[in-house]
Amino acid sequence: MTPEEKQRMIDFILKRIRKPNLTIDENTPLVSSGLVDSMALGDLLLELEDVTHLRIPPGKVRPKDLDTVALMFATAARVGKPPR
Amino acid sequence: MLRYQNLIEALEAAPGDRRFITFWVDEDEQESVTFAEFRRRARIQALVLREQGAICGDRIVIIMPQGIPAMTVFAGAMMLGAVPAFLAYPNEKVEASKYRSGLVGVTANLGAKLVVIDQEFPEEMLGCVSLTAEARLVRAGKSGASNETCSPDIKYQSNHIAFIQHSAGTTGLQKGVALTHAAVLRQLQHLAGALQITSDDRVYSWLPLYHDMGLIACFILPMVCHVPVVMQSPTEWVMQPETMLEVISEHKCTLAWLPNFAFQFIPRRTRPNRCTRYDLSPLRALVNCSEPVRASSMQEFRDTFAVCGLRSDAPQSSYAMAENVFAVTQSDITSASGPSRIWADGGRFRNSHQIERVPQETPGAVSFTSSGRLLPNQQIRITSDSGSDLFNGAVGEILVKSDCLFDGYYNRPDLTAKAIVDGWYHTGDLGFFLDCELYVVARKRDLIIIGGENLYPQDIEEIVGNHPAIHDGRVIALGLYNPDLGTEGILVVAEVDREELLANTEQIERDIRAQVAAGLGVTVGTVLLKPPKWIVKSTAGKAARSTTLEKLKKENPELEIDS
Repeated sequence: MTPEEKQRMIDFILKRIRKPNLTIDENTPLVSSGLVDSMALGDLLLELEDVTHLRIPPGKVRPKDLDTVALMFATAARVGKPPR
Repeated sequence: MLRYQNLIEALEAAPGDRRFITFWVDEDEQESVTFAEFRRRARIQALVLREQGAICGDRIVIIMPQGIPAMTVFAGAMMLGAVPAFLAYPNEKVEASKYRSGLVGVTANLGAKLVVIDQEFPEEMLGCVSLTAEARLVRAGKSGASNETCSPDIKYQSNHIAFIQHSAGTTGLQKGVALTHAAVLRQLQHLAGALQITSDDRVYSWLPLYHDMGLIACFILPMVCHVPVVMQSPTEWVMQPETMLEVISEHKCTLAWLPNFAFQFIPRRTRPNRCTRYDLSPLRALVNCSEPVRASSMQEFRDTFAVCGLRSDAPQSSYAMAENVFAVTQSDITSASGPSRIWADGGRFRNSHQIERVPQETPGAVSFTSSGRLLPNQQIRITSDSGSDLFNGAVGEILVKSDCLFDGYYNRPDLTAKAIVDGWYHTGDLGFFLDCELYVVARKRDLIIIGGENLYPQDIEEIVGNHPAIHDGRVIALGLYNPDLGTEGILVVAEVDREELLANTEQIERDIRAQVAAGLGVTVGTVLLKPPKWIVKSTAGKAARSTTLEKLKKENPELEIDS
């Protein structure tokens, strides 16, 4: 996770959840805190695929694997595959 | 299928070598069972349940992840004549104490003898499972190579209770709907006829088994009609909704059911450059069900996936509920244009609750999409608040009577007496009947419907009202339609205890979101914190919802509240 990749993910999440004055970092809980609901996880995964240039296969990821930005990148590194 | 005495007899009659369930995890991992293998595994589970003391008539709660093992326990319970009920699996967002107390409520109400969890039930979640003194916790049996099985007892009569499915509400407040084998078989007879199901069909589903769409349309219907079903886990699907297209293409699925929100959710989360990879041409009916049907959502799906070969008449609609086993109506799948759509004068609809048809281009016209015609042996009435019958496009509460209607909520005569009056089930939904077709408008009881799931506002209000900064009882929660999602979002209006607390709204809002997420597993869209005495109270001392909404409309016009 480069600083640029991390910031791009954080910017995307902030835009997606649209809460004014909210600040988050790579360790802010998103799913368990209720900031991000399950229906938004699909958007986050699509963005994560774009940022990492990896394909993240379904079935390999649980919501808890996406609870923070740091976990998202760790998950992509663990299960990501080259794009088809 | 009316030749069968019960559902297990129908399962036993299925050709053994025909594929029944395929559980799709990802491109590298799928598991399929034939009807013969499913029966074998179900008999193993029946033996395990019997060894744990389950006998005919015992209620058995199943808390297992979506998949073949959960379905074999369900069928195994029915093989004993026991009465299974699926409950939602706990997740990391749910507060253990809330889930535990809810589960105690459900097992107590059902008088459950066993609560079955899976072999891999997470240790850290065991704290969520708490039982009444009469109920016992058991692990589902392993379905490996064991030859020891239990012969099904299929001699019980068609009026025996087959299973219990739960209607809306949080876990502790859910109402158990007990359904007999005969009622389920009659429903499936009607539904299979309307959908013209043949042995060439193949069902696709990501719908949870504790919901009537997932249980009846995507498990019991395929089991009784002997057609294959390809399934995904709902929690995995929601993270990558595009996978539905992949599964339908790969397995050439012909039938599926979706709540309205999914008709927008999937197109908006599918990369356009990947659409051409999918083939949706085998899909002959994709039924919009469980939320009021919105034409714009169906059109978006149709337009986006025409490039995948989606037939223009594939999107269909239905009106269904757990209390009627499942469907009351179904749109005509032979119609080339899909479900009927009408336009009505917006002012007359909002102010007089009357549908007056107008041309599409009329300024202010509102559009409605039909949920179809009544299935055989179904009747409906549209009634006013005073109970008188309404006709000719007047909007009122939908009442249902049928040959597959439930007898009442399990062990809840109080709720039953309110819901069924003179044989008519009061649905709490608002709608109108026009040209022999039913149009469902909204929920009467202020239910908030999110992604096909119903939420009671009072459940949210109770949680928010417990926050130390919020004045208890001065909270209103309501659903606000979010056009981006195609479903409702939650709006919470709450009074702070003291005016100076408004200086710290960010922290209070965070707490409220986290507490609602922990208690109910849903996310609050908008929180509006207001000064003391802002919410209008009725003379009875309760929050006056409609008057407060009028006030909110004036102060926060950006919310576009239209009710």
